[in-house]
Amino acid sequence: MLNDIFNILLPQISLAGFIILQLVLSMVLSPRLYRYARLISVLGISLSIILLSTVQTEPQYFAFKNSIMSDSYTLLFDFLILVCGFLVALLTRQHIKTIKGNAYTFQAILLCAIFGAMNVISANDFLTLFVLIELLSFSTYFLIASAKGYHSKEAAFKYLLTSAVSTGVFLFGVSYLYGITGSINLSQIYEIVMSQPPSIMYSISAIMIVLGVISKLAVFPFANWVIDVYKGTETSVLAFLSTIPKLAIFGILCRLLVFPLSNSFELTYAVAIIALITALWANTYAVKESNVKVILACSASANSSYVLLAACLVSVYNLSTVIFYLMCYVLMNIAAFAFLNICSDKHDMNAESFKGIFYNNHGLTGAYAFSIIALAGFPITSGFIAKIYLFTAIASSGLRFIPFLLALLILTVVALFYYLKILLPLFERCDKNTEVPVLTPVFSQKFVLVVTTAITLIIGIYPEKIIELCRFIAYNI
Amino acid sequence: MEKLLSIPFLIFMPLVVSMFVISPLFTKNEIVVRRFSKSVFGFHFLYSILMLAFFDPANPYTSQIHFFGLDWVQSVGIKFAFRIDNISMILVMLTSFVFLLSSFASKFNIRANHKFYYSMLFLLESAILGIFTSADMFVFFLFWELELIPAYFLIGGKWKGIEVKPTNISASGGGKWKGSETEDEEKRAQNSAIKFVLFTFSGSMVMLLGILLLHYYNFISNGILSASFTDINASRIPEYIQNIIAVCLLIGFGVKLPIIPLHTWLPDAHTNAPTPVSMILAGILLKTGAYGIFRFNYETLPDAFITIAPILAIFAIINIIYTAFVAYAQTDIKRIVAYSSISNMGLILLGLCAINRIGLSASVFHMVAHALVTCGLFMVAGIVYLRCKTRDINTLSGIAVVMPRLFGFATVIVLASIGIPAFAPFVSEILTILGAMQADFSDVLKFVSVFSLPLLIISSCYMLKFLHKSFFGELPAEFEKVNDITVHEFIVLASVLAGLIIFGIFPGTLLGMVG
Repeated sequence: MLNDIFNILLPQISLAGFIILQLVLSMVLSPRLYRYARLISVLGISLSIILLSTVQTEPQYFAFKNSIMSDSYTLLFDFLILVCGFLVALLTRQHIKTIKGNAYTFQAILLCAIFGAMNVISANDFLTLFVLIELLSFSTYFLIASAKGYHSKEAAFKYLLTSAVSTGVFLFGVSYLYGITGSINLSQIYEIVMSQPPSIMYSISAIMIVLGVISKLAVFPFANWVIDVYKGTETSVLAFLSTIPKLAIFGILCRLLVFPLSNSFELTYAVAIIALITALWANTYAVKESNVKVILACSASANSSYVLLAACLVSVYNLSTVIFYLMCYVLMNIAAFAFLNICSDKHDMNAESFKGIFYNNHGLTGAYAFSIIALAGFPITSGFIAKIYLFTAIASSGLRFIPFLLALLILTVVALFYYLKILLPLFERCDKNTEVPVLTPVFSQKFVLVVTTAITLIIGIYPEKIIELCRFIAYNI
Repeated sequence: MEKLLSIPFLIFMPLVVSMFVISPLFTKNEIVVRRFSKSVFGFHFLYSILMLAFFDPANPYTSQIHFFGLDWVQSVGIKFAFRIDNISMILVMLTSFVFLLSSFASKFNIRANHKFYYSMLFLLESAILGIFTSADMFVFFLFWELELIPAYFLIGGKWKGIEVKPTNISASGGGKWKGSETEDEEKRAQNSAIKFVLFTFSGSMVMLLGILLLHYYNFISNGILSASFTDINASRIPEYIQNIIAVCLLIGFGVKLPIIPLHTWLPDAHTNAPTPVSMILAGILLKTGAYGIFRFNYETLPDAFITIAPILAIFAIINIIYTAFVAYAQTDIKRIVAYSSISNMGLILLGLCAINRIGLSASVFHMVAHALVTCGLFMVAGIVYLRCKTRDINTLSGIAVVMPRLFGFATVIVLASIGIPAFAPFVSEILTILGAMQADFSDVLKFVSVFSLPLLIISSCYMLKFLHKSFFGELPAEFEKVNDITVHEFIVLASVLAGLIIFGIFPGTLLGMVG
């Protein structure tokens, strides 16, 4: 037991220690000292990143009676989640200032969510997976509801209700699978399923499980929460919401699709159709919206659907493209939300209200525009490479999926339309009467924006090493 | 000497200059910006001439300078590779020349945001050169997409300035812009820029599908994970897949070229863009579509192109005839020129569809000839608009009296454009007829295509109508004080004319390179 902890769980345990520390401090310290909450979170996450070097990955390591595992794949995702967590924690400065009394609790829940997300990747049986997904989700509800005002509560409640339904669907699927195989352990299920001919019951259970898991990605049947949640949520929490759960869910989804659920052809088609409908819905919904947060919500949903299509056509090559796309995507997204975080006290999030902001804040707006261009998939950004790489994967999956690919490509054009809606007002000159605010970011916000944009640019120019890493990880799963 | 020449420098020099111009380090003084840009464009033109001097048309691939490659994304087989062959060389020269002309033309047309304007111009040049020289499909696509960003800003940007300070304008007739008029115009320009971007982007997405399929099927049928044009051997790809790929690619290029149902972005974009940008759009940007059809469909997928060519030839003929009639109905000078561009691009497409040496050389020759003609015509339209504040041929009249030098140039360029002998377009039109006659078309199609070319007579109708209505007749009082062309404009028009005459009298210089 202790051996297991020392071999693979040190980062998680240290993070748990910091969660307890934050909770204790929330009771002990006066609200006036709210500033240190963020510092402690950042410290905790940094320590976890350092402790990742102690994790044993070669060969695969199974702990706690096979319920948790670790290999290079989980290590990479843990690293990505921690890096995102680090950047998100840096962005929370303004938010905890408004909720002074609850600053330490907020940070504790943030760490909790990161803790949950890290473990979701490593889960090796459905019970552990269920508990950890719920840990991640419940933390997310509280994070969303943490902001003052009515909207955040409404958003959290909506998310809670949708998630509850999808959790039911997930459990339903797991119960079927248990009925077929008599096991909840992923490795055992894989062995049993591969030895049997594919059955319709198995396909139904697989589809149910996948549906339950992907509801967190804001895809089709459970998609409508995303609009209200993004509208009512604080920007730093959004930076969290659009990256970390996504990494965790895609991480576990790819593992599920590669191992226990790989024996179902119907599942592939079902997920491909879900991806297509999601892309259609998200891209067309955003066209008439003018709220930047909502547009980014739709963009998050649309991007999920692209990745989902590549992920459901299971192959090692596809897996490497999915990992690479996720990596690039989270960085672009954090950059965009970092900018929104900088302006959040001066703007309602209407796209038109950013008019002319470029002329007073060249660098910041330039970086923001760059990240939006990257999201739209234009060259010299990592977004371009990621899209090309992802689409090569879908194109190489056979002629059957070419219509899906064509539809996604056409929908990319629609996406360009709403990205332009965000981009164009930035550079529009406004008349003399309106005052364009001068943004005054603090160091940490600038740091996040600059670092994420720089990495987006660097990957866009020289992606080879990162792609090699992704291929290595994918071949080792 | 030969060691000094390198393709990366040729392509990325404008990109680096663009970064330099827009950076805060560079001066904001518009005169310095303008002169610096002009000299850089001039230097680039000289550099490309130098490249031409060391270029051996007989065996373009032997020399060191004609290839540059670097592994970029090995896992997908993408090489960051560039290669110059005969047609690329011609188009590189043309690009460099047209950008030089347009930088001269920019002096009076661009009145605000100089740094941004010239930086975008350099970026566009880099992107277009990248398209013409790339040796890898994905690199081609990269530059194809990259070109959209500067093109968007150049078409839709606010180059006229909100306030015009009379002291800053040395142009004759400047400083009379009214605020509301300008705003209205800028709104229109922005809308057409968005239209342009959305059209091209949707086309390029379909094209991307074609590229992805070509890449993948080349891999499974030939076992080479590569996207470079030389490694793609289409002959082993199943025929129906070749056809799917070819159609996907054609839709992408057809938006740019434009082929008739996909052309609606063009008249708006060309009309609402400032004059120097229209010159680049019509002169170079449309040629990227024709070049793409040549590089992908003609060279890389020859089997599918033989199947598709007769159908494409019908589209080309529709392009030629239909748009000529539409052009006749227009009253805006720039719209007339824009529609005539579509008509001429049909000619280029027909040359390609003939799939023989004469047709190919005709179409490349016409790319050059049409670029020169259309630059000249847009320049004339721009000059008239700058001074008379209108481009409507019904309002204009009699301006030959006050602008005799412009009238001279306009007459000669218009005559050249309708295919008078001794000018370049004449040669390419004759060659296209010859090419179509020798082509492997059915008799009916041959008949139609050969007889569609005399229908170019319609082009003389609309061109002469424009000349007649705007330059002859009574001179209204409001135009009495306009000045004739200035030195800058003279340089542009004279160099266009020189090019037209040189290639018209010695077509062998160019044709020799294509053959």
